[in-house]
Amino acid sequence: MNNITLNKNLKPASEVEPVLKVRDLNVAFNIPRGQAKILEGVNFDLFPKEILALVGETGSGKSVTARSLLNLIPGRSGETKGQVLFAENDLLLMSDKELQRIRGNRISMVFQNPQSSINPVFTLGEQIFRLIRLYLSAAVEDLKQKTHCSQKQAIETIAKEKLNEVGLTDIKRTLKLYANEISGGMAQRYRIAMALISSPEILIADEATSALDVTVQAHILKLMKDLCKNKQTAILFITHDLGIAAQICDRVAVMYAGRIVEIAETKKIFANPLHPYTKGLLKAVPKLGKNEPLSFVPGIIPDLVNPPVGCRFHRRCDHIMNICRKQKPESLKFEDNHNVSCFLYKQNHKENRHE
Amino acid sequence: MFHVFYTNKITKKTDMNNPLIKLEQVNTWFPNNKSILGKPKFWIKAVSDVNLNIIEGECLGLVGESGCGKSTLGRTILRLAPLYSGRIEFMGEDIGQLDGKVLKPYRARMQMVFQDPKASLNPKMTIFKVLSEALHLNSSVAKENYLEQAVKLLDLVDLRPEHIFRYPHEFSGGQQQRICIARALATNPKFIVFDEATSALDVSVQAQVISLMKNLQKKLNLTYLFISHDLSIIEHVCSRVAVMYAGQIIEVQDAGSLFDTPRHPYTKALKNAVPIADPESRKELGILKGEVPKLSDPPSGCHFHPRCDYKKDICSKKNPIVYKIDENSWVRCHFQEELWQQGVLINSKESL
Repeated sequence: MNNITLNKNLKPASEVEPVLKVRDLNVAFNIPRGQAKILEGVNFDLFPKEILALVGETGSGKSVTARSLLNLIPGRSGETKGQVLFAENDLLLMSDKELQRIRGNRISMVFQNPQSSINPVFTLGEQIFRLIRLYLSAAVEDLKQKTHCSQKQAIETIAKEKLNEVGLTDIKRTLKLYANEISGGMAQRYRIAMALISSPEILIADEATSALDVTVQAHILKLMKDLCKNKQTAILFITHDLGIAAQICDRVAVMYAGRIVEIAETKKIFANPLHPYTKGLLKAVPKLGKNEPLSFVPGIIPDLVNPPVGCRFHRRCDHIMNICRKQKPESLKFEDNHNVSCFLYKQNHKENRHE
Repeated sequence: MFHVFYTNKITKKTDMNNPLIKLEQVNTWFPNNKSILGKPKFWIKAVSDVNLNIIEGECLGLVGESGCGKSTLGRTILRLAPLYSGRIEFMGEDIGQLDGKVLKPYRARMQMVFQDPKASLNPKMTIFKVLSEALHLNSSVAKENYLEQAVKLLDLVDLRPEHIFRYPHEFSGGQQQRICIARALATNPKFIVFDEATSALDVSVQAQVISLMKNLQKKLNLTYLFISHDLSIIEHVCSRVAVMYAGQIIEVQDAGSLFDTPRHPYTKALKNAVPIADPESRKELGILKGEVPKLSDPPSGCHFHPRCDYKKDICSKKNPIVYKIDENSWVRCHFQEELWQQGVLINSKESL
């Protein structure tokens, strides 16, 4: 009997296991004024082959989320609590040595400013060769035996192949250049090529296209989308540009002041935003070809040293109820693949609405 | 409330039909790699052969990729960048050759708001000091009225009077940008250049600043040049848009029609690359091949020809002349007539 009830609770077989599970992630930074509670109870899953957008305003904790996934927040400046489950291991409990095997290898990251995340004193070639030696030693040996070439030639062949994949041309010349000699678009392609060398299961793109022009951005977005399809990589795409989220992402998570307030499939969240903040955010975005009047959410993001009690959005919210000032809203399932953290959608509190 | 600002030394009347600013064959070239004798080895042609009218009371958008010379053009109009050749008319007066003291009264009537508000405010100055420095240029305000005037300015940009003795770091990015706008308004300008003024801001804050800009324009009868790389914002804010590519303006049209009926292949490519915040209109983002040319060595003929899908022999040989479409719009392309009749540039709208 017990077995049967257990099985009922299990997810149907058709549903895919998430490749990354984030549970109750809390990050606090110690600053002179006190402790800034940057993240509070962040929960989400990342499924294989999907692109999940993490959107929000500056200071909402998007980048901190990305960094804490790889435990990149130094212990002396901040506290990271919660669980980041990857391949049934908690990344937050791992030692640095164990993490080193995952960072850049099974989970890669691409940052906003490509030029500053490339070492300026080595040529592009030296840097990518080093990575190939580190992660693809088996492939190099293979190639050496097959073609009877030297180690150096084998590495160079693989480097060319990898850079070709991201659409770089004239690779022979490119390998001899330094970071300051290439354009932003080239640098970001190169970074993506480096991030993908080890065929990671997860790619975290932290504002990866924000510093680029729209035309170059279009290239990079297409590249990422194709990679996601071909290489089965899951992408966590952190952006403040809702246009990107709408165009390439499968699901969107909206962050506000360190909490995920709404998470849903892209089409659902744009067609039927539930959280008052999501609604406000969507109305503030100008859309090309649709000259709708813009509106905005009044007020600013709260001070996270003394965050508002209850719902962190309540001071800017039009639909404020008594309970919002007292209790933290839990994530509610509104429909399949659409969760929202707002008391407006909790049946029991309907009577509160008119207070 | 703001009447003090409407008296100024320059009292030349401008006709409503006359452009406030008229650019004729404006070139801004920067010398590079000077030899021992001080002769430049080559010139970086940041702005070349720009003809443009800015009509009083309009908001003209200037859009293009980074490095195409948008900011330099804005700075050239304000005489902040050296003019190599050409003519800049402001309120019917040629200010291109003016210098020093003679230029100063004109400078006060033209202002600029920059991208990064934090960097353009002195961290050691209170807001009052920032504003009174600018008020100093406004001869119609007496020194003892600075405080009163500064409070009025803050009120114009929706900041509270108690903010006046605070330092820039005590404000959020949106508020800092409002202070920059207040500072620009202090000299009673007629014309303001917004150089990527909202690019560093969040969407929600951006919407606030834009609505403020629009209100101020109506209230004070200002003329704007709005420089941005973000087409959605440009379409939203501006009444007319100029598209710039590699130092040249290649197309000018009304904002309402530019992105629906582009006449230049580059405008179409630019538009197709923009991700629209609406999953229902999901599309394959248009890919423009190649890279932005170097301004020190722009391609021969039409600057866009190496990346153009519709290029022919003539494009690499001859720089296209300007084809007028109507009073306020024109395009710089050899085949604009043909492309227009074939409708290849508009098709993208239906596939959207």
